[in-house]
Amino acid sequence: MESAKVIETLGLRKTFRDFWRRPVVEAVKGLDFSVRQGEVFGLLGPNGSGKSTTIKMLLGLLHPTAGEIRVLGAAPSDTRVKARIGYLPEVSHLHPFLTPRETLMYYASLFGMSHGVAARRTAELLTMVDLAHAADRAVGRFSKGMARRVGVAQALVNAPELLILDEPTSGLDPLGCREVKDLVRLLARNGVTVLMTSHLLADVEDVCDRVAILDRGVLRAEGQIADLLRKPDAVRFLVEGLSEEEASALRRELEARAGCRVQQDFPAMSLEAFFLQVVAQDGRLRTFEMAPFLQAEHVPGKGPA
Amino acid sequence: MIRPPQTATGVWRTLKQAAAIAGTTLTEAIQQPVALLILLAAVLMTLLSPVFQFHRFSEDGRLARDSGLACMLVFGLVLAAGTAGRSVADEIARGTAAAAIGKPVSRVTFVLAKWLGIFGVVALFWCGVLAATLLAERCSAHFLTLEDFSGYATDPWTLVSSFLGVALALAAAAAGHYWRRRRFGVGAFAGVALSQVAVAAVSGFYNRFGQLYPLHGEAACSGCGGEHAHAAAGLVWYHPELNLRVLPVALLVLFALAIFAALATALATRLQTGAALAVCAGVLILGLAGDAFTAGATALSLRGLLAGVLPDVQHFWLCDAVARGGRVAWSYVAEAGAYAATCCAICLTAGCLAFQDRDLG
Ligand SMILES: Nc1ncnc2c1ncn2[C@@H]1O[C@H](COP(=O)(O)OP(=O)(O)OP(=O)(O)O)[C@@H](O)[C@H]1O
Ligand SMILES: [Mg+2]
Repeated sequence: MESAKVIETLGLRKTFRDFWRRPVVEAVKGLDFSVRQGEVFGLLGPNGSGKSTTIKMLLGLLHPTAGEIRVLGAAPSDTRVKARIGYLPEVSHLHPFLTPRETLMYYASLFGMSHGVAARRTAELLTMVDLAHAADRAVGRFSKGMARRVGVAQALVNAPELLILDEPTSGLDPLGCREVKDLVRLLARNGVTVLMTSHLLADVEDVCDRVAILDRGVLRAEGQIADLLRKPDAVRFLVEGLSEEEASALRRELEARAGCRVQQDFPAMSLEAFFLQVVAQDGRLRTFEMAPFLQAEHVPGKGPA
Repeated sequence: MIRPPQTATGVWRTLKQAAAIAGTTLTEAIQQPVALLILLAAVLMTLLSPVFQFHRFSEDGRLARDSGLACMLVFGLVLAAGTAGRSVADEIARGTAAAAIGKPVSRVTFVLAKWLGIFGVVALFWCGVLAATLLAERCSAHFLTLEDFSGYATDPWTLVSSFLGVALALAAAAAGHYWRRRRFGVGAFAGVALSQVAVAAVSGFYNRFGQLYPLHGEAACSGCGGEHAHAAAGLVWYHPELNLRVLPVALLVLFALAIFAALATALATRLQTGAALAVCAGVLILGLAGDAFTAGATALSLRGLLAGVLPDVQHFWLCDAVARGGRVAWSYVAEAGAYAATCCAICLTAGCLAFQDRDLG
C-alpha cells in the first residue's frame, strides 16, 4: 500500500515582482512533486534554484503565482495544519535580545502550550542541542552554529508530524552535522515525515530516502536515492587485510576471468569520519540524545483536529 | 508516530499567541536605547518647565501643564511610529515575522498582537509623562495668599524628588543589570515611568512647603480647581496637590496615540520605518490643522474627502479646555474614546488586509 501524501504540489509557480508589479524573476516554474508519509525527502539544487522559495510557499509565507499546494491535506495558510509542522528557516531568524530559553518558550506559547509543558520541553531541547550551558545568554551574540542549534530546537518544540528543514546543516560543525543527520533519521524512524533542502550532496545522500533536483525553478530529476545512484553494470568488492602483492594478484585473476579491466584502489577514510575520530579522542563526542518528549510511543491516528 | 503535544486550541490559543507576541514586542521595544531616550526627553523636558518658567500665560502652572501634554503627544507619536516600524517593518525584513507566521499564528492575530504590544509601550510612556506633567504643574510657582504667607511659592521638594526618581530608576536598572543580569533597557524604561507615578503618589503626604500631613492651620493647595487653602477645620491626612482635571485631557492624548499606533502598525506592514513615521507626522499635522484646513469644505471636494478620511486630532487636543479651572466632561471623553476605537479598528483592518497578501520572504 502506498502511504498517504503529506505534501503535494501541482503546477506550482512563483514570480517575484517589483514595486510596479513588473515580473523580476521567475523563481519556481511549474513544480509538481509529492512527499509521502514517513519518508525523508531531499530537495536539491544549486544556489538560486528556488528551494527556499518552494518551502516558503509550502508554509504559506509566500503566495504562489499559480498552482496548488496541499500540506497535510489542507491549504498552507491553515493554522491547524501549521500546528503539526516544524520549520527551520534557511537563516535562523531569532529575536536577538531573547535567550535560547526565552526563544523556545516564546515559540512554545505560539503553539498554545501551557507554561509547564513549554518549560519542560525547552529544558529537554536545550540539552538535546547542547546549549544548556548558554541557555541564559542573549542569542544576538551567538555564533552562527549556536543560532542554528536554537533554530533546530524551535523547529521541534511542537513534536511535529512534518518537519521542514531549509539547509539544516549550514553553519554547523561536523559534530553538529552528524547530530542533525542522526536526529533526522531517528525522527523518521518515529514516523515523522521530513522535507529538507541542501546543496551538500553528502548530507542528502546520508539521510534522504527520495530526492528531487531543482534547477532554475524546474524539476530535473526525482526518485529513490538508491535507484538514481545505482550504476546498473558495475560491481564493487571491498576486501580487508590483503597485502599490496596479494591485492595485485587478485586483480589480475579477476581481469582474466571477466575479460576486462578491473580498477583497484585503497579507500581512504572520509574526512568526516577522521574528524569525528580525532574529536572523539578528546572525549568531546557527545552521544546524541533525543529529547524524551520526541521519543514518545507510537500513538496511531491521534493527531490534533 | 510521536505523541501530539498537549496544546490549547481555538480562542484560548489565539489569546496565548497574542499575549506572547505582544509581550515580546513590548520588551523588545523598550529594550531599545532610543525608546528610553524618548521617554527621558519627554519626562525631563516636562520636569524642567517649572525651573525655566518664563511666562505665566495668565495662569500659574499652565506652561508646565501645556508643555507636558505637548511632550506627551509629540514624543508619544514618535515612539508609537518608531516602535511600529521596528517591530513590524524590521521584523518582516529580518524574518522574525516569517518565523512567527510559520507557526500556527494567523496573520490577523499577528497584526493585532503587534498593535497591542506597541500600545503597551505607548501606555507605559503615557503613565510616566502624565505623572511628570502633574508634578511639573504642582512644582510651578503659584501665587498664594495664606494667613502666614503671601507670594509665589514653588515646590522644590517634589521637583527634586522627581529628578531623584529618574536618577534612582536608572541606577536601579544598572544595578539590576550588574548583579542580577536583568535587562537594563526594560528596567530603566519601566523604572523611569513608574518613578514619576510613585513620586506623584507620595507627594500627597506633604504640602508644598514640605510640611507633612496631618496639618493644622492652612495647607496651601492649588490642585483642587480653585487656588484655595484647606482650613484647619478638617484634618487632612493625604492630599495629592495635583491638578486631576488634566486626567481627561491626558486620556484624550492617549486615545490619539492609540490611533497613531494603529496607523503606524498598518503602514509598517507595507512601508519602511522612515516612511511610516513620515506619513504619521503628516497625518498629525493635517489632523491638527483640521479645522482651518477643511472648514467650509463640501463633502464632494478633495478637502472634504481629506476631512472625512483623516482622524480629527483636534478632538483629542483639549489643553485649553482646562485653563483657568475649566473641566472636560467625562461624557466627552467617552465619546472621543468611541471615535478613537473606530479609527483604530479602521486602521487595523486596513493593516490586516495589507499584511494578508504580503509575501514574507
Ligand atoms: N523576496 C524575493 N524577492 C525577489 N526575488 C527573490 C526573493 N526571494 C528569492 N528570490 C529569487 O528567487 C530565486 C530563488 O531563490 P531561493 O532563495 O528560492 O533559492 P535557493 O534554491 O534557496 O538558493 P540557495 O541554495 O542559495 O539557498 C533567486 O533568483 C532569488 O534571487
Ligand atoms: Mg535557500
